[in-house]
Amino acid sequence: MVNENLVKDVVKEPYKYGFVTDIETEKIAKGLNENIIRLISQKKEEPKYLLDFRLKAFKKWQKMKEPDWAGLGYEQIDYQDIIYYSAPKQKEKISSLDEVDPKLLETFDKLGIPLTEQKKLTNVAVDAVFDSVSIATTFREELAEHGVIFCSISEAVKNHSDLIEKYLGTVVPASDNYFAALNSAVFSDGSFVYIPKGVACPMDLSSYFRINSGDSGQFERTLIIAEESSSVSYLEGCTAPMFDTNTLHAAVVELIALDDASIKYSTVQNWYAGDEEGIGGIFNFVTKRGKCLGKRSKISWSQVETGSAITWKYPSCLLLGEESVGEFYSVALTNNLQQADTGTKMIHIGPKTKSTIVSKGISAGNSINSYRGLVKMGTKAKGSRNYSQCDSMLIGDQASANTFPYINSQQPNSEIEHEASTCRISEDQLFYLQSRGIEFEEAVSMMVSGFCRDVFNQLPMEFAAEADKLLALKLEGSVG
Amino acid sequence: MEIVEKIKAYKSIDNQSEIQKICLDKLQLSPLPNPKSEQWRLSNKSKFSNFLDYSVNEKDLNFDAPFPNTSQSIIRLVIGDNFPINLIEENYSITQLSEDKLVKYIKGQISCFDHNENWSDLLNLSLNCSKNTLGLKISGSKIPPIEIFSNASSNSLNAKTLIIFLEKNCEIDLLQVNLGKDNSSLSQSTFLCLEENSSLNHGVVSYGENKSNLLNSLNVIQQKNSEYNLGSLHFKFNYARFEIRIKQSEGNAKTNIKGMQITKKDEQISTYTKIDFDGPNGFLDQINKSLADDKSHAIFEGSIIVPKIAQKTDASQLSRNLLLSNFAQIDTKPQLEIIADDVKCKHGATISQLNEEELFYMRTRGITLTEASKLQLSSYFQEIISFIPVSKDRWDLLDKLLNEN
Amino acid sequence: MESKMKESNPILEVENLSASTDNLPILKGVSLTVYPGEIHAIMGRNGCGKSTLSKIIAGHPSYNITNGDIKFLGENINSLEPEERAQSGIFLGFQYPIEIPGVSNLEFLRVSTNARRKFLNKEELDTFDFEELVKEKLEIVKMDHAFLSRSVNQGFSGGEKKRNEILQMALLEPKIAILDETDSGLDIDALRIVASGIKKISNTQTGIILITHYQRLLDEIEPNFVHVMSDGQIIKTGGSDLALELERKGYEWTDNFIKET
Repeated sequence: MVNENLVKDVVKEPYKYGFVTDIETEKIAKGLNENIIRLISQKKEEPKYLLDFRLKAFKKWQKMKEPDWAGLGYEQIDYQDIIYYSAPKQKEKISSLDEVDPKLLETFDKLGIPLTEQKKLTNVAVDAVFDSVSIATTFREELAEHGVIFCSISEAVKNHSDLIEKYLGTVVPASDNYFAALNSAVFSDGSFVYIPKGVACPMDLSSYFRINSGDSGQFERTLIIAEESSSVSYLEGCTAPMFDTNTLHAAVVELIALDDASIKYSTVQNWYAGDEEGIGGIFNFVTKRGKCLGKRSKISWSQVETGSAITWKYPSCLLLGEESVGEFYSVALTNNLQQADTGTKMIHIGPKTKSTIVSKGISAGNSINSYRGLVKMGTKAKGSRNYSQCDSMLIGDQASANTFPYINSQQPNSEIEHEASTCRISEDQLFYLQSRGIEFEEAVSMMVSGFCRDVFNQLPMEFAAEADKLLALKLEGSVG
Repeated sequence: MEIVEKIKAYKSIDNQSEIQKICLDKLQLSPLPNPKSEQWRLSNKSKFSNFLDYSVNEKDLNFDAPFPNTSQSIIRLVIGDNFPINLIEENYSITQLSEDKLVKYIKGQISCFDHNENWSDLLNLSLNCSKNTLGLKISGSKIPPIEIFSNASSNSLNAKTLIIFLEKNCEIDLLQVNLGKDNSSLSQSTFLCLEENSSLNHGVVSYGENKSNLLNSLNVIQQKNSEYNLGSLHFKFNYARFEIRIKQSEGNAKTNIKGMQITKKDEQISTYTKIDFDGPNGFLDQINKSLADDKSHAIFEGSIIVPKIAQKTDASQLSRNLLLSNFAQIDTKPQLEIIADDVKCKHGATISQLNEEELFYMRTRGITLTEASKLQLSSYFQEIISFIPVSKDRWDLLDKLLNEN
Repeated sequence: MESKMKESNPILEVENLSASTDNLPILKGVSLTVYPGEIHAIMGRNGCGKSTLSKIIAGHPSYNITNGDIKFLGENINSLEPEERAQSGIFLGFQYPIEIPGVSNLEFLRVSTNARRKFLNKEELDTFDFEELVKEKLEIVKMDHAFLSRSVNQGFSGGEKKRNEILQMALLEPKIAILDETDSGLDIDALRIVASGIKKISNTQTGIILITHYQRLLDEIEPNFVHVMSDGQIIKTGGSDLALELERKGYEWTDNFIKET
């Protein structure tokens, strides 16, 4: 019921995160070649194995072709016209938050993510990433008491090199796909999480990604490792200023869950989507994958995708461990000329594995919203089950909704069930709400949020509220 | 030898019909379908090349229908028989389609062919000569049921083409039987045009012998207020593809499809369907069933396309699959592509084995596992078989399926 | 009376039975003996294992017997297939009768009746003779003939499903019938029909196990023994008055037995 009330907060306001922070940044030259990669690696003082990892990925990337199977329409990306490293100028070493440029703190304040000791969120630890680098991570000491490591991936490379070397690229290999290869070659920063054996992380962890520069790409990399019988809930948020050019965001997220471990990964994606004519906006080409390595391990993805000009994203689960569980809960809303091609892959490898997919797509304006998913039962996935439900809501007669489920089974003793339907907001429902005095737009928001309820219920409290608000905002003026 | 060369070597340029020439030219541009395209990515490569292996020589062989035509009231035709058809009765007429109309219609169809999607038709029309083409124009009512046979001869690749125009207000039951022979490939292309207010109950039963291959392509255009009911069954083929393309050219039409494919040994049988709604108020109810046993592979890919013009479309597609062996596999991909907002569309897919709780229930009543499985299978089959016209009374398909186990 | 019954041999003997599913123990040493003419009631909370016990006696493949024996007419049946148990005269009335779309009820009843008759060396019935037999048995459960032409249990109301179970019991003439919550979901009229059906079918040669939550079925059919189950074990056995006491005091009362034992 919280959510319905929040919908009432809807006011006509444009993309409110569209401001640019005026800050001196250090940028390297545009373009991509081996030297650039060496330069990035050198700036980050990386060990040799990591430089090798990057160079190998780059070689592979050069041989790969940009995928076109999703049928997304966008102008060819000039990969030589992108800046691959951009960082706000700061002191060499920052020992405390007080030394962070106040402009940066102010930026995150404005985004609703206060970082300073006095104002920081009380129950969430935040890693704030600004363009290519991590600015600050809160609650580090408190987490360290529990043995939880939460820091930027650059720091992890320095301080927990063994873990990085052991796990980086094991879930999403550098050669996995075009954008993953690109990311592996040039990734700048991102978050690293390590939950030791038997620890239930005492608070939610969160990363907030902010693209500020218009001409640099963002290539963050996230790695989360949950040891035996540990658990963590991780939140990810993202915004970017409004530019009339397109910015490339090609992230890689890798999750690893060992025996009885559980990882919940929630995203509210609100990158700048471009204007009503489709000018500008982020190209969000992201590879997210989790490996349920251990017995009874569980990885749960929930996402609310409202931003970006183009989204190409399939958070997936490799279910290896016996009785491991994969979940995917998604709301994707597209408006104007946005395109979203999103879904999941549930690969059942181990016996008695279980997966659930709930996807809600809402297409408005002239947008294209596609669910694309794969469910596969391998020969050893005896006693495994999948249930998928993909619903689309169409608003207006110019928007399109597609459903492309790929289903393959090689194990007779397993069950797959997929259901999909489309609907629109019926006039009867609208009339009913309006006849009770509810404003038209509010009635629409209520129905959209009702349509998404199954997914919102999976989100952590703060996120659910934010997500609901976001949807209402995005739909502004699209009905009628 | 490449297929285009093979066709050319056999059929001298002078003998080629206009359609053959157009299609050969198209085929020459890209002689094989793209194995990475959505329509062909799952197609077994060695089986497909086996399909093309056989000689394209046409043989004249006597054809024995699998059951005798004892009933006077059924019209039986065999493609390639070349009997002139001219049945004009009081309340109906079945006549040969004029060459002009036939060529014009096919040319119209070819003009919108996509190389991958319609590759089977391109091959069929490149291979075929007028002898193996049957074109019919049917009008009237109270027409006796029609059976049309299409067959392959051993050690050859044969092409048969069927074109039927159902004129306004016409109603008919039509059973098409495609028979594969040992070591043979059959390319069957069918073009149906249902004019306004016409109604067709169409059955397609295809089965082969050892190492039979089949490319079966069905193209249907439905004008407004027409009703098209298709019941189909494919089994016993080394390799078979059933491609269904239905276009409701003005919407306002009804389509019901109940199809089934059964694969055993190392067979691969696939069904591809594409339903286009080019106007409002269209209706579709489709169910496709697969059963895969042994080391076989069954595939279903269906797409429903609902553009902006197709408001108030009501479409549902269900893919139900039984996987009965550890070495078999099933792929299914029901797709929806929708732009119109005032539509009711849904699809679903399931893959499982026989329901264990149902089996246990029957076993607690003393019914043996084998018998209980048979009871379940027969109900699984029956839903489809009972939808195939003409065959119901004369041909015990159910028995044939259950006892082939 | 009790001693007289025991002159004959038991129909069913469950001896120290333990069983599990997915490595989860469900039954933890259950013993129960049923003589001809006896009616036993098993009561207990949801999840105490009473439904599982009935499924294991019928041979459900999802459960593994980890210890103990089930004997039917003196023979160990631990490894018999469910259909073999049914043919030899064990009947399980399901709590939730399974719907089997597409399989006609009449055909189903005929095939199962003949399977039992074959075991009894009785002549198998053809469609006509069977219709005669069914007509007679339909009377017992007051069911309409139209039931037969529908798919097995599909679209049946809760009461119709339970009556269909009793109809099957009447046709199969079992030696022992285990009726799993046959009374649940029935209104008072349907309950009377079902109860009188059970009474008509049972006789001095058959045994009945009623699995139930409530007293109301036991008001209609008075049991000789009442067993209370908890956590996979029978924790108390008594006469029909035990059920009444249980109804009065609730299952919390039985929690004390566990503490005692």
